[in-house]
Amino acid sequence: MALRDIKPTRSELINLKKRIALSERGYKILKMKRDGLILEFFKVLEQAKDTRGDLNERYESAQAMMAVANTVEGAIGVKAAAFSVQQEPDIKVASKNIMGVVVPEIESSKVRKGLNERGYGILGTTSVIDETALSFEELVEAIIRSAEIETTMKKLLDEIESTKRRVNALEFKVIPELTEARDFIKMRLDEMEREELFRLKKIKARNV
Amino acid sequence: MTEVKAGPVPYIYVCTRMRVRKSKLIPREEYLRMLNMGLSEITRFVEETQYKKEIDELATAFHGIDLIEIALSWNLAKEYQNIQKITPGTLKDLTRAYLRRWDIQNILTIIRGKLHGERPGKIKEVLVPAGELDKAFLDRMIEEPSPERIIESLKGKAEYPLLSRLFEGGVREELLPKAENELYKQFYADLIEMARSGIKGGRQFLDYLTLDIDITNIRNMFRFRADQSGDDIMNVAIPGGTISPQMMQRLLQIKDRNEFIDALVPLIKTRVLRELLETLREEKSIREIEIDLIKVQIAEMETMSKLHPFSIHPILAYLEMKKYEIFNLRALARGKESNLSPDRIRGYLVI
Repeated sequence: MALRDIKPTRSELINLKKRIALSERGYKILKMKRDGLILEFFKVLEQAKDTRGDLNERYESAQAMMAVANTVEGAIGVKAAAFSVQQEPDIKVASKNIMGVVVPEIESSKVRKGLNERGYGILGTTSVIDETALSFEELVEAIIRSAEIETTMKKLLDEIESTKRRVNALEFKVIPELTEARDFIKMRLDEMEREELFRLKKIKARNV
Repeated sequence: MTEVKAGPVPYIYVCTRMRVRKSKLIPREEYLRMLNMGLSEITRFVEETQYKKEIDELATAFHGIDLIEIALSWNLAKEYQNIQKITPGTLKDLTRAYLRRWDIQNILTIIRGKLHGERPGKIKEVLVPAGELDKAFLDRMIEEPSPERIIESLKGKAEYPLLSRLFEGGVREELLPKAENELYKQFYADLIEMARSGIKGGRQFLDYLTLDIDITNIRNMFRFRADQSGDDIMNVAIPGGTISPQMMQRLLQIKDRNEFIDALVPLIKTRVLRELLETLREEKSIREIEIDLIKVQIAEMETMSKLHPFSIHPILAYLEMKKYEIFNLRALARGKESNLSPDRIRGYLVI
């Protein structure tokens, strides 16, 4: 706000004071929100670390099991068993609210299945296929868990970033400018008051 | 070759040929040596053995580890087809019936591949035409436009009645596991019926079937115990062994491993199998248990083939040992490709 655009009037000063009070209140609230979001973020970060670690572990284990399955059953056996996969997990995405941030809540149909539900016959396969299927089911579960937590973390980060920008804008731009404008108007009004007083004194001296 | 129609001569001839072929299988020491070889050395080793012909034939279409694996499967299929040709009389019927398990595997793979919209070429790669349905028949099946037509093409084959009944309203994926289990159960039921029909050599064949069914049922009980999902084993329990499906269901209710083995051991008639079960009291992975069971099965089949040298047993023993030679070579090659340690690969070998 350029100072030359400001009308140094009392009503403008009152308006400015109101805006400063509002900005300061907003600043305090946003700062609290930012701090709250950061606390929340650190909580989610811990969970994200755990789920990502879990995901990496399960990925390694699924890959290792796939190597074992290829070793024991051969690519032919693994491919034939892979033809049996009947359905992809049904994923439902709902939403929940963390301090005003809408984050996803992912619900999935049962990924882990019993021996009879996997789509291949028991009599034509060996336990390596069971173990490989189980390790990939666990991997899919870990991916779904991780997807929910990591998306939450990213959304929180975006919100923290935008809240931080708003707080900084209020702290370093809006409030200082409004304060400067308020001080300018005060100074102009004081000056005008002094001019008026001086003028009155002059008139009074002439009349005497 | 002059065909001898009667008497023990053809049996002696074919059983002797089986013993000769068995002696040519890769010995245990070679596997141990191969464990310390690299993948390229194993490839060269395989190329220099009886698998050379298949590798040369397939070298234009495949390469690397896939070439080895498919060449091994082709060799197995050719060997099995060849054995069906040289086996005479009732032994031929028994061998053909025994090899029908490969037909079940191939039929199901084709149906599943079709349902998943796989290319015919890709489905063909995973077939092992080692049973009654030869390569030409399987090729025709793959070219059928729908799973329903595939089933129709099986008219006249042993699998047709069951499949047509199960998929009366169209082929549905969720029915495939049931179809697979039912086909294998029917396969064993047919074999038992054949063995009990008074066919020559049927009694020896029945002995083998009982052993095979017992080992399959025990393996599946351990799989269900490891799975802990509480699924019903009745769907996969094969009748005809020494343990009835109802007994298997009851045994699975026993949670404690020692109590489970205590209850299981008295039901088993085969001594080596009872001895093996006693060793399973200590914690072992399900894969180790499976390998131990396979080893016991092969050892017992060897004993049977020595007890009945001119029966179906030497043929079955060779067929199984040949299957596990292919299995071992593939495991070695794939294990090396996946950088598994020699010790770990050794754990998966049937030697």
